Amino acid sequence: MRRTLLGLAGTVALLLGLTAPALAFEPVNVVHTEKVQAGPYDLTIGFSTWPVKAMQSLDFTFAPEDGITGKTGTLTMFYNGAEDDDGPLARHPRKREVWGLDIHAMPAPGTWTMRFDINGPAGAGTGELKNLQVMEQPGPPMGLSWAISTIPLFGLIALIVIAWRRTRATVD
Amino acid sequence: MTAHITATAASSPVTRTVPRGLIPASVVLGGTLISLIGLTWDIQWHSDVGPDTFFTLPHLFLYAGSAISGLASLAVVLLTTANSKRDKEVDPVVGGRAVGVFGRTFAAPVGYLVSGIGAALFLVYGLWDQWWHGLYGFDAVIDSPPHIGLLLSISITMVGAVMIFAVARDQNWGTYGVAGAAATLLAFSMVTVLGLRALPGGLVNTVNAGSAFFSVMILFMGAYVLKRRGGALAVGVVVAALQALFWWFSPWATEVYADATGLPLRDYADGIPGLPNMIPMSLILVAVAVELLHKLPAWLVGAVGGVIITACAPLQRMFVYGSNFPAIDRFLATVVAGAVLGALAGMLGRRFGHMLRHLAPAKDNSHA
Repeated sequence: MRRTLLGLAGTVALLLGLTAPALAFEPVNVVHTEKVQAGPYDLTIGFSTWPVKAMQSLDFTFAPEDGITGKTGTLTMFYNGAEDDDGPLARHPRKREVWGLDIHAMPAPGTWTMRFDINGPAGAGTGELKNLQVMEQPGPPMGLSWAISTIPLFGLIALIVIAWRRTRATVD
Repeated sequence: MTAHITATAASSPVTRTVPRGLIPASVVLGGTLISLIGLTWDIQWHSDVGPDTFFTLPHLFLYAGSAISGLASLAVVLLTTANSKRDKEVDPVVGGRAVGVFGRTFAAPVGYLVSGIGAALFLVYGLWDQWWHGLYGFDAVIDSPPHIGLLLSISITMVGAVMIFAVARDQNWGTYGVAGAAATLLAFSMVTVLGLRALPGGLVNTVNAGSAFFSVMILFMGAYVLKRRGGALAVGVVVAALQALFWWFSPWATEVYADATGLPLRDYADGIPGLPNMIPMSLILVAVAVELLHKLPAWLVGAVGGVIITACAPLQRMFVYGSNFPAIDRFLATVVAGAVLGALAGMLGRRFGHMLRHLAPAKDNSHA
């Protein structure tokens, strides 16, 4: 219990002491790029980690060669050939000069396709990044991770079982 | 008037102005509310702004909430231990009967023991979450296993808060506290149920069915521990008040904090309040149904509640997001699951309410 107290006191001190300097956000570091030709637009796809692994989050950047000004577009993801998700191309929150997805994780291993539909001064164009291979997730199997994470739930159920057995009579 | 008050005070100098147990109970409840504020703010931050560190203000609220509840719980346990070792009387209205921890090293009132264990678990799961982020990146996924572990830990503190106030249910502050603590637990649990997305549900929308189960169960629990007309409605009204308050607060605080840190809002940020929209707006209907149908068996009223919540969930999505009505087979399967789980939740909530009534010291029950 004293350790808990010390731990809590330490936490409070850390919270109060380190807040201001720690609010510096990580820059977007592109370590791998792929090229996509979407009609008249040359698009560079940037990845902040490579290779991509399932459930491991990374920054994606989507940069037309002559910038995003005056352009709009849609990104559609396909998983093993079937449409999975789509949305408008939005500026990356930490790299506002390009479009992107911030700390985004591909949910499952396999073959993914990213389709870009872009409208701009040179007209409309569509291009695809095909065969994006997403590797198996890192770390322990999800079953084990869930087992560890739901221990509080099972503890609560145990408490309820004990309380249930001790409180058979109704209290008015 | 002044003279009168002075005279009264002078004639009874030993009158307690604050009921015994109210202050630590309020601190624990306040801590859980700070956790809830941190959670609604953090969810909104991720959806509307994005950039994240360990020390964003919403995160600090989350850590501080558990720290405040945990320290208050620890203080009560240490004081109770000290009193018990000196053979001083330990009033069970403060958190319930004291139980031995580590043999008889500590004497811990059971409500504060549970709230304190929740706060301690929060620290442990914080480390698990740090390790997870090191491996998987700084993902903003609310339903990752460590995040669900953290949310469950906070929920245990919230269960402890309900227990602490349930002990004092014969006093006004206990009654109001039960409604407040149960409503806080209910609102918070609507985020924890997102973990059910990991379950294969077939046609059933597991999150909607889970929301129905937990909201019906907690509503019944509050109603049966208070065991008075209006108990369910009180919990429902507090949940609705929290929902309304956070509907305004979450986007507002997010924008203010983004301005203060010089960060822009995301392109296409819709500003729709994330956490408040996870709370079923139909809950107030369920609360009214529980009040009106109180003579029917709990399982039947629970099933009605489960049906109301699962049937209205797509309507809420259509109203807020303008989304389409789901496929009819998926809708019907989810409503059937809502009925079955609602019936179970009604029975469990009723039983949990009775269990919580056992925590109170045996004496007259003025509200019974």
